[in-house]
Amino acid sequence: MSPRVRRSALPHDPSATLPLGPRPAGRVLDARLHLLDRQTLDADEVPVATVDDLELVPPAGTSGPLVGDTPVHVAALLSGPVLATRVFGGRPPASRLHRILWRHVADVGTTVRLGVRGQDLDVLWVERWVRDHVIGRIPGGRHAPE
Amino acid sequence: MLLSDLLDAPVRAPSGDPLGYVVDVRLVLDGPLDGGLLVQPRVHGLIISPRTGSSFLGYERSDVRSPAVLARWLRWRHRGTFLVHWEHVATADADAVVLADGYRRWSPAFPEGAHRHV
Repeated sequence: MSPRVRRSALPHDPSATLPLGPRPAGRVLDARLHLLDRQTLDADEVPVATVDDLELVPPAGTSGPLVGDTPVHVAALLSGPVLATRVFGGRPPASRLHRILWRHVADVGTTVRLGVRGQDLDVLWVERWVRDHVIGRIPGGRHAPE
Repeated sequence: MLLSDLLDAPVRAPSGDPLGYVVDVRLVLDGPLDGGLLVQPRVHGLIISPRTGSSFLGYERSDVRSPAVLARWLRWRHRGTFLVHWEHVATADADAVVLADGYRRWSPAFPEGAHRHV
């Protein structure tokens, strides 16, 4: 069973109807609902990776835990081997997570569309390596089937 | 910091009372353009629920009503979910999120049409 706080232990009435807050000026996204696990497509509509995590950054020059006094922005989408850590806990080392900078994101919908080509991104280095060093050495592996 | 550090982190009131867990992070696209095509998302607030599991479907935040049994059950399961604005967060790290004095609870519902282009 997932962790929970007993509603009787809450310092407020959980059944109270809450007011709708002031509407933000920009488009609203919920990170887990609208971004995590979404497929990213490059400028040619070729699948690149899925969004496994987001990098949150406070303003330059601040350190320590995040605080509400300083705005926090999303700097990059992260993709990496997260299946095992989602099942067993923890998270993969930072070196295994590949960044797709937010400035490369062109649109967020059912998929996350990028404005660059996937082959220019680090996240596909394994595919490129396998293509060049394994598939490319198989006879006929360097051209489309006839 | 990574988003996954914040998700499912326990949330406490300034008094130390447990309030629930971070089930999602609400973003607003109103940050700097940073040379890209979309402006950078800014963390607008945290969605906090008394329980962690299954909230990824978001029924408690949207007006989706079908399938009716599932929608009703998930909305009931996550009753008491609320949005707290980022300005009302005192500290946030992977161990816990502590809210600031005078924090205010808002409805977690999406502002109408705000998840589409504006």
